[in-house]
Amino acid sequence: MRSNLVWLTLGLIVWAALPFIVPRSTADLLVFTGIYAIAGLGIGLLLGQCGIVNLAQATFYGLGAYGSAYCTVTLGLPSAVGFVVGAVLSMVLAYVIGRPILRLTGYFLALGTLALSAIASALFFEWDWLTGGTLGIGGIPKLELFGFALDRPSRYYFFVWILAFGCMALARNLVDSRTGLMLRAMRDSSTAAASLSIDLQSLRTRIFVLCALFGSLAGSLFAHHASFVSVQSFTVDRSINFLLIPVVGGATSIPGVVAGALFVTFLPELLSKLGDFHQILFGLALVAVVVALPDGLMGAFSRLRGMIAARRSGNAG
Amino acid sequence: MQADPALLALQGVGHSFGGLSVLRSVTFDVPAGEIVGLIGPNGSGKTTLFNIVSGYIRPLVGNILYRGTPFGRETIQQRSHAGLVRTFQTPQVFEKMTVLENVMAGCCKLTRTSLLQDLFRTPTARGQLREIREQAEAACERFQLAGMRDVPAASLTAGQRRILEIARAVVGKPSLLLLDEPSSGLNGQEIENLREWIVRLNADDGMTVLLVSHDMGLMTVANMVHTLYFGEIIASGDMTAIQRHPKVREVYLGV
Repeated sequence: MRSNLVWLTLGLIVWAALPFIVPRSTADLLVFTGIYAIAGLGIGLLLGQCGIVNLAQATFYGLGAYGSAYCTVTLGLPSAVGFVVGAVLSMVLAYVIGRPILRLTGYFLALGTLALSAIASALFFEWDWLTGGTLGIGGIPKLELFGFALDRPSRYYFFVWILAFGCMALARNLVDSRTGLMLRAMRDSSTAAASLSIDLQSLRTRIFVLCALFGSLAGSLFAHHASFVSVQSFTVDRSINFLLIPVVGGATSIPGVVAGALFVTFLPELLSKLGDFHQILFGLALVAVVVALPDGLMGAFSRLRGMIAARRSGNAG
Repeated sequence: MQADPALLALQGVGHSFGGLSVLRSVTFDVPAGEIVGLIGPNGSGKTTLFNIVSGYIRPLVGNILYRGTPFGRETIQQRSHAGLVRTFQTPQVFEKMTVLENVMAGCCKLTRTSLLQDLFRTPTARGQLREIREQAEAACERFQLAGMRDVPAASLTAGQRRILEIARAVVGKPSLLLLDEPSSGLNGQEIENLREWIVRLNADDGMTVLLVSHDMGLMTVANMVHTLYFGEIIASGDMTAIQRHPKVREVYLGV
């Protein structure tokens, strides 16, 4: 118990010091990590708790980003309005699309969400009056909090990560709650869950909507960080990247999304220094993680801790 | 004066898969407070009948009445909420969840919290979860699962899974408990315990039980037994009468 507290304090100190000791470009990547962790968290809840593969997160991420960009740049509204507009649009879309397609299961459902992402990405491209198409929307203002400008990565870092930790706390609450029980029951046997009066359809839809909300929040945060949004950021590729976050981190683990988000932000960046074939290397690294660590990085971490604890008690005895 | 309607009444229920008729005009009552048995050889339609009663299959013909009102259109969830809970021939436990969590999932329907309350861990949400946990812990004690309550259900033996499934079903306080082949995979001692639990659930908890089995020994627990053979009820009565019934003897013993 006490050693946990020590680790937590150490972690907090490192977390707080990090943006000041690393170069600006790394701080920038750390901001992205926080943003991706929020988007990946929604996917992780669906994957780990409901057994649903959602390949449409870039759509909701895009709605959040365009909502913020359009409201602040084109309409000149306060940034809070952009967050709300993006969130409401995402949740409504998730409900309207989720209600019918969440009747599907397994690969069919995954393909359904993939189709959603493909269609949305095409629409973002076509509706250039709204999204600016490939030219995008630029000049999105930096956020301000109580008159304090979050205009540098080191400042925005704290804002994004406090939100990310907040979302993770909510997700933890959900997993530990009555709803969490029902979700896992449904994941393990939908037949038996139905006989216990668990309403599969409505429960799945609600978590899908929650996932979209996280995606949209991440998208709005991204728009205010990058100051520029364009279709390239909301393609199917991005959806796949978001899915990788919980897969790499460990689908049932909430802190796992941080590990997964670090992996998908930093590894391509590190590998790109090695030359043109960095995407192949990223692919190989990914395969290595998935094959060698089926429970993700957090699963491997907890196994390692278990082994160390077992060895210690073995030595003591 | 008319008697109270039976808790569950089947009236002329028939079903077929493709051209294969599996149930033909099945009619019987499950009176409140009774233990009713349904026996029959493999393929006689017992499980189909069970699926119809619990809502997994819609019957092609016939009516189902629950507490005297038609109950044919209700979803599985609505039926479960109304107090009709089943177990499965192949136990369906939630494998990656612990034994205690499995049982807790069974009492989720007794409380109601919204997603928002759960996300923000409001006092109501916490209180309800505590209540669920306490009831599940009590059920684990009762069904002798307390010693293994923190192990994942995937590691249980076939017999333990079956008992876990029953514990999970009864913790939701059903009025009508539907048990599908509860004794298969159980050893002699476990069957004895099962019999005692069925009796106690019926006598102490006031649960009506519909028991499907081809275990003639366990069936003696029932007050009334119906024999299903190729989709039709061929004999009804208590177990002694059933065993003496010429048609049943012909089907089971070939005499």
